[in-house]
Order: sequence, then structure tokens, then C-alpha cells
Amino acid sequence: MSGLPAGFDRDGAVAETLAVAEAAASRRAFLRGAVAGATGLGALTALPEARAASRNDVAILNYALSLEELQSAFYTEAERSKALSGETGVAARTIGAVERAHVKALRKVLGRAAIRRPFFDFQGVTEDPDKFLKTAVAFEDLAVAAYKGQATLVDDPAVLAAAISIHSVEARHAAWIRYLVGTTPTVAALDEPKSKDEVLQIVRATGFIAQRPKTRSRRRPGFTG
Amino acid sequence: MGGTDEHVAAAPGGMPRRRLLGLGFAAGGAALAAGWGLAGPAPSLAAPSPAQDAEILGFALGLEDLQETFYRQAAASSVLPAGDLRDFVETVREHETAHASYLRTLLGAGAPAPAAFTFTTELASPESIASTAILLEDLAVRAYNGQAGNLTTAALAEAAKVVSVDARHAAWIRSIVGQPPASEPTDPGVTAADVTATLTKAGLG
Repeated sequence: MSGLPAGFDRDGAVAETLAVAEAAASRRAFLRGAVAGATGLGALTALPEARAASRNDVAILNYALSLEELQSAFYTEAERSKALSGETGVAARTIGAVERAHVKALRKVLGRAAIRRPFFDFQGVTEDPDKFLKTAVAFEDLAVAAYKGQATLVDDPAVLAAAISIHSVEARHAAWIRYLVGTTPTVAALDEPKSKDEVLQIVRATGFIAQRPKTRSRRRPGFTG
Repeated sequence: MGGTDEHVAAAPGGMPRRRLLGLGFAAGGAALAAGWGLAGPAPSLAAPSPAQDAEILGFALGLEDLQETFYRQAAASSVLPAGDLRDFVETVREHETAHASYLRTLLGAGAPAPAAFTFTTELASPESIASTAILLEDLAVRAYNGQAGNLTTAALAEAAKVVSVDARHAAWIRSIVGQPPASEPTDPGVTAADVTATLTKAGLG
């Protein structure tokens, strides 16, 4: 995928890690009853009466969560790097806030069925305005294709409504960032879906999923997340 | 035991899962939407079916035809300056033409013919062209989103390819005129009645 910095193929276990995490989370959900049944992001956090989510939907929601965590961490780190200014800075702050809201809402509906937040290492991309923009384009286009690829697989109409609602927001993000990069905001007259396998392969190839936290400072060790 | 887990199993005859669920969930979906409706007051019309798909996609085609007409007339307008706005109008015109054609092909012989419409005040200035584009693109996105749950999986797959492009259009034109391209975390769907009401109020319905 053009625009992504050259990543190295990590141990290749990332997609498997995600799959294992999802299987574990789905099983917990199946046993304990993850909550579904929300028609939109706000309603996702409002949590009406508990409705058992299908194992299928829990897996889809966790997949969405993993992508939102990736985007959220990316924008958050970019904002904190203070390397972005002007319209790019505004985009990072605004889109980051939305992706963080998506993470929060998805975690709320999944409850204990949610996968653990992955660790990320963006390898300096968040500190370089040009690399940041190109990677943001790739992420947003990928998110659109990912949600599109799952839409027809969702069981619960309420989960579908939420996913479809987020799907078009990611498309707005994609167009916005493309405009800032100076490339056409649309890819074609029709946007194509990507399968989960394809998406996870692309994510794995970036090398951004880290196996362990990266210490940010020596004085007060923190984690890039 | 998970209440909906039994729906996960493949149905006899390989019926698509969501079509099967639609039969049982139609009323439930409406109750959900009515109770929590942030994704939009989009009650199930009935269980998804090819006949209902045709009604919904026929309605969507009306919106695509309206957009195509708008951009065609805007492109021919003398007030459209060269530059970003013209690039947008000409590119999006091609897209909306493709969207209308795509839906017509899906609908086959039953596809409604495009209604004739002449835009007037909407084409008075670059500003009015931009604001009309924003209105129409946002409306299309919310119309599709509002109907997602009423479509069969086959029709949903097709509609999904179109709606994200309209969403890109909406953010694009906002970027051009300096409005926040995407400040909301969700794009709640609206009903067909809402769409008609919005168009009527704008003098376009």
C-alpha cells in the first residue's frame, strides 16, 4: 500500500495474536453475555438493557476496536509530538478526538469481551508531518474498506447501524486528509471493501503493532501505548 | 447462553445470515431504533427482501439523479470559477453519473426514469453551489445509512460502495470552502420521510 513507511515483517504473529485475543474475548462474551443493541455511538455508551451479542458480532466489534485503537493511538501520539501545525494539526486533533470516541464507545458496548489495547510503535511517523499525512490517508482509506467489508456480516441490526454510521465518518476523514495531502479526496466512483484477512495483513506489514511497550522517557518511564 | 447465538448457525439452503435474521428482527429493529435512535429514526419497513431492496434503491436512485442533475447544471454554469470548486464539481459529476448508472443496472427494467429538474437559486454563486452540494451529499449519506438495516446483504454491499464516496464528497466540498470537514463521530441515518421533508424544505422536492 503506497504511502506507508517501509515496515518490516514482524514475527508474523500479529494477526494470529489478534485472532487469539478475539477468540478469547468472544468466548468470554458468549459465556457472560456481551452487551449489544445500540443504534449509534452515543447509544453505544448509553447502554440500554443488556442484550447478548452473537459471537460473530463480538468478533466484528473487536476487529473494529483494534482498528480504532490503531488510529486513536496514531493521532494521539501525533498530537503529543507537537510536530504538526496549521491545518494538519487541526486535523490530527479533531480526527483523533473522534477515533478516541469510537474506541470508548466500542469498549463500552463490548465490556469484558473487549480485546486488550495493543501496544504500538509508530517508528517516528507521528513526528514527521509529511509521513504523518501519508500514513493517515492509508489508515482512513483502510478503515473505510474494513468497515465496508464487515457490514454484510453483522447479525444485530443495531450493531450494523453503528458500524455503517462510523463507516461514512471514516470516509469523511479519508477525504479530509487526502485534501490536505493535495491528492484527490476520492479514490474512484465506488469504494471497494477489503476482507478482514486483507486488512490485518496490511496492518501487520506496517510494523506498527509492537510486542511490548516502548519506554518514552528515562526520567518518568511511560509507554507510547 | 447467548440469546442470539442460535442465529449464527448457517441456515438450511445457505440463506444469507442477515436475511434470516431480518425475518425475526424486523420488529426488534424498530423497537431498538425507536428506543435509542441515535443512528437515526430508521424503523424497519419490513423484513429485507428483493422487493423492498428495489423500493429503497429506487429511492436512492432518485437522490443520485438529483445530484447528477445538479452537478451537470453547475458544471455548465457561468458562475463556476476555475480551480478547486470546478475540479470538485466536474469530478463529482462523473461519480454521481456512475452512481445513478450503477443503481439503474441493479434495478434493471424497473428502474425509475430520472425526474427533470432545473436548479435556479442554487446556481446563483459559487457559495450557493457549495452549500447545495453539502446539503445533497450529507442527505445522501444519511439516507443510505438510514436504510442499511432494511436492505438484504446483497443490496447493502452495493449501497455501501456508494455511500462512502458521497461522504468523501461531503468532506471534500467542506474543505474547499473552509468548513470543518468532519467534526462528528457518527453519521446517523434518517428515514425516507426525513429525506423528502428536507428536500421539500430546500425547494428541491
